[in-house]
Amino acid sequence: MLAAITLTCLPHTSPASQDCRFCHDEPLYRVDFNGSVHAGNGCTSCHVGITNIEKHRDGKEKPAPVNCGVCHEKIAKEYLSNFHYIQEDFRCSDCHRNIHAIRKVEDKHVKIAIIEKCTECHGNADYTASGHGEAVMKGNRDAADCSDCHGLHSTRVFHTSLEQYPAEAREFYTQKCKRCHADSVMMTRNNLSDKMVAYYEGTYHGKVQELGYPAPVAGCGDCHTKHNILPKDDPRSSIHPANLEANCGRCHSGFHPRFLSYQAHPDYTDRQKYPALYVTFLFMGGLLVGTLAFFWVHTILWWRKVYWEKDRMEREGIVPPSVVATGEGLQQVERFSVKYRIMHVLLVLSFFTLVLTGFPLKYAGTEWAQTITRLWGGAHMSGLFHRGAAFVLIVGMIYVAWESLQFLFPKGKGRQGWIGRLLGPDSLFPNLKDLQDFKGMIRWFFNRGEAPKFDRWTYWEKFDFLAVFWGMFAIGGSGILLWKPEWSSWLVPGWVLNIAALVHSEEALLAALFIFTIHFFNTHFIPNKFPMDRLIFTGTYRLEELKEQRPLEYERLVAEGRLESMKREHPSIPLKLISATFGLGSLLLGIFLTVIILWSVLFG
Amino acid sequence: MARVSRNTLIRWGMPAAWIIILALAACGKPAEAPPPWNVVDAPTLRAMMADDRELPVYNTMSEIECLDHRIPGSQCLACEEIEKDISRLPPDKNRVIVFYCESAGCYRSCRAAGAAVMAGYTQVHVLDEGMPAWKQAGYATETVERIPRGSIPSVRAPALRQMIAERRDLLLVDLRSEQSYREGHIEGAVNFPLYRLSRTYAEIPLDRTLVLIDDRGFRTLLAGSYLEMKGYRVMRLFRGMQAWQEMQAAK
Repeated sequence: MLAAITLTCLPHTSPASQDCRFCHDEPLYRVDFNGSVHAGNGCTSCHVGITNIEKHRDGKEKPAPVNCGVCHEKIAKEYLSNFHYIQEDFRCSDCHRNIHAIRKVEDKHVKIAIIEKCTECHGNADYTASGHGEAVMKGNRDAADCSDCHGLHSTRVFHTSLEQYPAEAREFYTQKCKRCHADSVMMTRNNLSDKMVAYYEGTYHGKVQELGYPAPVAGCGDCHTKHNILPKDDPRSSIHPANLEANCGRCHSGFHPRFLSYQAHPDYTDRQKYPALYVTFLFMGGLLVGTLAFFWVHTILWWRKVYWEKDRMEREGIVPPSVVATGEGLQQVERFSVKYRIMHVLLVLSFFTLVLTGFPLKYAGTEWAQTITRLWGGAHMSGLFHRGAAFVLIVGMIYVAWESLQFLFPKGKGRQGWIGRLLGPDSLFPNLKDLQDFKGMIRWFFNRGEAPKFDRWTYWEKFDFLAVFWGMFAIGGSGILLWKPEWSSWLVPGWVLNIAALVHSEEALLAALFIFTIHFFNTHFIPNKFPMDRLIFTGTYRLEELKEQRPLEYERLVAEGRLESMKREHPSIPLKLISATFGLGSLLLGIFLTVIILWSVLFG
Repeated sequence: MARVSRNTLIRWGMPAAWIIILALAACGKPAEAPPPWNVVDAPTLRAMMADDRELPVYNTMSEIECLDHRIPGSQCLACEEIEKDISRLPPDKNRVIVFYCESAGCYRSCRAAGAAVMAGYTQVHVLDEGMPAWKQAGYATETVERIPRGSIPSVRAPALRQMIAERRDLLLVDLRSEQSYREGHIEGAVNFPLYRLSRTYAEIPLDRTLVLIDDRGFRTLLAGSYLEMKGYRVMRLFRGMQAWQEMQAAK
């Protein structure tokens, strides 16, 4: 390489170096230059433009300004965007001052040489006293010198020291830190953990940063400072316990001191260091896997049974009575009143908003997350929508809780007979019959008996309802804590926020996958309802369907003489069209989200 | 008649209402008023200069900075000089003139352009993003009197405050314009505006260590290198008056 440069830069038509040194006879040119890295070049390799030595001697011909870029082409190109050039118009020789005596620096001393060069002007006491600086000076060739973060000939123009820290600078430098600190070979060699970057990327800070909203969220340098980077047991370090309050306080305000126990790089799998997180991680993982496994098996068995049954009926020419219903069987009866239909639509809308704003954060590194966030108008807007939808959902949940209490303790009756109502057929609370129904369904799945006869609510519908209720405690509670973490620290210590973040995220995954696979399949995609059951939107179905799907409820309605009051008009065409559009749209969106979520879980 | 007008109202009422709403929404966010001069980018300026070899292009920085490096073919005329004496611009008020400065903010070229517009010049242009844009476009600059860059130590504002209290040999040299200096300066500082420093520097005593102060810390390196070349011992205030004022405000 060096030989190639030397060859291309040798003088051709101009005077020999000997002739130059006849007049320019200082030791610098006669002695030092011959030991320098450029010794293979003649004077006129750099000082071009002298054609005639007499003319030059007489002052009639002057050499052109030196252009180092003729040989150092790549560097010259990089240097065009260098801060020193753009802002202060530094030229090569302003840093490489003694250019005629410049010598090649041994590889093992390059880092030290760079630091010495930069600190000729930048007397950065912070850096030289930092972990990186100290390590370099002790001969460590992995520790960052100035150029590892700032570039050597490509130092960027960020104005970080002059105006506010710009978003792109935070992004740029955070990537620089990550480049080395995620390098497992380099970190292992230096007795450091290579997982710190991944742990950071698992937190809110890291995810928002990765999503491309770097301005108001902590990158590496915000907590570890820019130059004074020291381990946390050093009292001068920004992350030393004594300095944490001021450190976190640069972005967060109004927090209780126990806010500081929040872990910025938590490892969920470290049982020794983070026992509470570890237990939560196991519990949430178990809940997720257990619930999904149970219901997926249940759904598959059910689907098989229904499909095989449908096939048998087709072969034998049997048509279900609800399809060929005539006369009274065609009569529409109400299952969901307008109020519950509206509530379901609100639930659907808020749930999708939460999923479409939350999951991009959970899988911040993926392409689709970036796209969806851009569609919302950035992570900030996305966050606002997330909170808005959460508010709708919480209000809905409070309303349902209030209604449930009214159901149990109606006016006039009070507590009298509430257990009967709780375990009765109109209640969504599980009872002994649900257990029997479940056993009956399993027997039916395996062709060991008839399908059980259901009353108003099946056991899987009760589970759907109660799962949302449990989910609201887990996901809503953790979400409220994370809504304003500084205020939450007056209630709970910072490490609880780590747990809240974990619970919020895992429960969200469970909820989304449960709704988009199990609820969708049980209610809409099962062969006898495919592609969707519009009942929740139109509110009514045929009397024949009531008899077929919920025979016990039908019998009860007849016996209690209430059937007449449940009869309704056939739903109008606009209502059916809107229901179909909204319902199918939701189903398709859910399937699409399931695919990208599962893709990210498995390959992300 | 009445029926027709009601039908018309129904037919056109809604679109009209929408147009009014949209118009109101548009008014709610007025676009920022464009400056009373033309903003040109670096390639455009280069083309303009190639077309018109005599095109007056002014570097509005100080003479020291301008002679060190400038766009080839441009002239040195600090914006303070233009503000003081507008007759230094071409007499023809309809002549195309261009201003540029050193930083992307281009505060100085805008001041010069403002003065020119006020004086009645009709074809005032400003180079967008200034010389950094010119350099980033990959265009060369020319040098008349190159100043070798020195390694000028910079002090941070709190350290300077302490040094002022402890050392007697310091001389604070405020390089900002007369007006900025009048509006407020560090106690004891003397004013040597950078735009005429090349003519006045000899008045600065040689036996003191100078601490150079500018607006934001960008310009003291070159000014310091210049003074070092002239035999002075020089330091500079890191981030300039901005840092000093921030420190005072934080107190």
